Amino acid sequence: MSDKQHTLHSARRLGRLMSRYYLSSRYHSLWGPLLRRPLAWVTSGAPVEILRVFGIHPFYPENYGALCGARRASLALCQAAEARGYSQDLCSYARCHLGSLFSPEHAPLKKLPPPDLLVACNNICGTVLKWYEELARRLRVPLLFIDTPFIAGELEDRAVAYVQEQLRAMVEELSRLTGRRWDAARARRIMGLSNEAVLLWREIRYMGRHRPSPLNAPDLFIHMAPIVVLRGTPQAVHYYRLLLSEVRERVKKGIAAVPGERVRLLWDNIAIWYRLNRFFRFFAERGACFVTDTYTGGWDTEMAVREDPLESLAEAYAGIFLNRSLQFRVRQMVELIRDFAVDGFVMHSNRSCKPYSLVQEEIRRQVVEQTGIPGLVVEADQTDPRAFAEETVLNRAQAFLEALAL
Amino acid sequence: MSYGTGSGELHEILEVASSAPAAWAARYPGRRFLGFFCSCWPEELVSALGGEPLRVLPPARPGSPARLPAYCCTVARGCLELGEKGTLGFLAGAGFAHACDTMQCLGDIWRYAAGMPVFYLVPPVAPLACGAEEYYTEELSALYARLAGAWGEEPREDALREAVKLHNRVRALVGRLEELRAGLPSPLVAAVLRAGQVMPRREFLRLLEEALPGLAARASRPAGRRLLAVSGAVLETDDFYRLVEELGGRVVADDTCTGYRHYAAPVEESLPPLVALARRLASRPPCPCRHLGLEARARYLLQLVRSKGAHGLVLILRKYCEPHAWDAVHVAGALRGAGVPVLVLETEGPVVGEQERTRLQAFLEQLSGGSGP
Ligand code: SF4
Ligand code: SF4
Repeated sequence: MSDKQHTLHSARRLGRLMSRYYLSSRYHSLWGPLLRRPLAWVTSGAPVEILRVFGIHPFYPENYGALCGARRASLALCQAAEARGYSQDLCSYARCHLGSLFSPEHAPLKKLPPPDLLVACNNICGTVLKWYEELARRLRVPLLFIDTPFIAGELEDRAVAYVQEQLRAMVEELSRLTGRRWDAARARRIMGLSNEAVLLWREIRYMGRHRPSPLNAPDLFIHMAPIVVLRGTPQAVHYYRLLLSEVRERVKKGIAAVPGERVRLLWDNIAIWYRLNRFFRFFAERGACFVTDTYTGGWDTEMAVREDPLESLAEAYAGIFLNRSLQFRVRQMVELIRDFAVDGFVMHSNRSCKPYSLVQEEIRRQVVEQTGIPGLVVEADQTDPRAFAEETVLNRAQAFLEALAL
Repeated sequence: MSYGTGSGELHEILEVASSAPAAWAARYPGRRFLGFFCSCWPEELVSALGGEPLRVLPPARPGSPARLPAYCCTVARGCLELGEKGTLGFLAGAGFAHACDTMQCLGDIWRYAAGMPVFYLVPPVAPLACGAEEYYTEELSALYARLAGAWGEEPREDALREAVKLHNRVRALVGRLEELRAGLPSPLVAAVLRAGQVMPRREFLRLLEEALPGLAARASRPAGRRLLAVSGAVLETDDFYRLVEELGGRVVADDTCTGYRHYAAPVEESLPPLVALARRLASRPPCPCRHLGLEARARYLLQLVRSKGAHGLVLILRKYCEPHAWDAVHVAGALRGAGVPVLVLETEGPVVGEQERTRLQAFLEQLSGGSGP
């Protein structure tokens, strides 16, 4: 991090891969209609494999929100949305995205590729539904919504059946919209590609168990992009194979993501995109490496292969970690802490993301009680820099690291 | 109370409406209260098992509960504060119906913070989606069994039918009050509606039945008053309604979560009760936490404004409440487009601040062209 030689070489390849994805999205109007391939704006937890069966090109406004944050365009875009009456208390990904519609001159990529349809799934939050309802009204394009009931305890058969029914209806609707037929065999192949990428991604993430860790959280945040936007494609699989071999090589050579790693930390919640490098550098300079996190692990769960691909998809997409109880998340964190031999954890109390953040204090209490390791809560926002009092946060981080005897 | 209580029955209702939760246990000893938080919660299941459904409302000025950050609505924070302090220790449990992201989190935290059993229900967000009714019927059935199991009761269908009838009678009676609303002081009606969510329902039914003739006799045309429709989430006190009256207005339609939205739409008595309860979700007035189509809420509110002869609509936004903040942009635009004046009023809690008071006053004056009440 602090040392240039430790940047992953794959980062350049990733840059090219993502540029290609964004270029093909941006110029979709030139090639999409010719190939009869509509473009859909989709939420990060939407069952994209189904869209791919129908040749639909997915574009991810949430990933775009992160991009706006990383490029420091988010403030102007949030303000553009607020000027139209959208409250400052709404998720900043949504405000960035809406802002880019109102003020494309401030937006990375300028004008976004217009969608032929919208696909939203509430397995990550209720916000996405409201956000996509708004898009559907403004842009006058069809909205396909998949309702995945929140899992308060265990994932129940009735919930899977309900999601499956909706997926069936979605398949019919997409057939109608695209004039293409549902092809279960193709769906299985695409799901196979998703699974391959997911397993590679999991293996990569788990490399962080080595001491010193070859990866720090910002590496994970940057390299997660393909698992979100290219899931179900050969490109994602190819990319993660290369990344995995580079990370393995690092492990073999004992290359640390944070030279002189002294403390191993866990990160909880979405990144602070507009301060990604600066924030994590502060820790790296003090020998602290974020060897794992809860967020990028959201994309490392494999789909079970069932006779009916829709059943597998229903089960997988209903079961996403943000759709699960506090208890599940405590268990997950405790396991990560043990598996990665973590010394302390930092929770980003993220104003934008209520389902992720409002339960954090209770999770912190329980994790501290069960593991005995300390946890720090820092307040910020994933893309709205106004919610981040950097100096205060870094002072607290300093004190936290000192308490960890650094 | 400044707006007069009239009969003894009414007095009793209003006393409950304004009393603190701790007083309820003492007033109704030996009852098994189950606290619930969202008006989607199927009260009938509780009544069928001999319990009393009690809506948990936050204190008017909540402090800062330890387990929720400041960027969370005061509804959740206030309720959690009661839970953490043990004020609701008399409850036999808490029932959460999944609604917004915040309620989802509160339900999860409650398990650890309030020391009582939690019963979690997840209604479909899209009640009209394929498979939603079947899913919800099963979900309700599982909840009924869980509740019954916890209380050592049998989940009987005949008891559920009786409970449906009881709650439908409450709805019908409140519907009659609703017809008188324009002629009665707004805080009075709001308080009665709130009492109907916390009092044991049979008592409420008896008292309201007896109070209604008096209320009907008292109702008079709201001459000179500016007539408002109000929509929003929870309003846990009468403050807003009192302010409207003070400023020369009258709430003639109350689409808040604690207002008439709670009572609207009876449960179909000819159907198997669990199916009927499941169906009710789609027939209730649209709430921002459910997806009933892109225009459903704006259309509903426009029809409400017109049918009640309201001069304008106030959308009350709770600070940090996402579902209502999202809807406000479209709903305000759509209604203004249809010629209805709309005021979007953001408040921290149920008490309207000075600045908002001035805005409300200006809005009311604009409605009447400046003439006083
Ligand atoms: S950041 Fe949170 S609230 Fe925003 S879209 Fe993602 S999951 Fe939803
Ligand atoms: S709907 Fe709004 S006011 Fe009600 S609990 Fe949710 S966020 Fe709070």
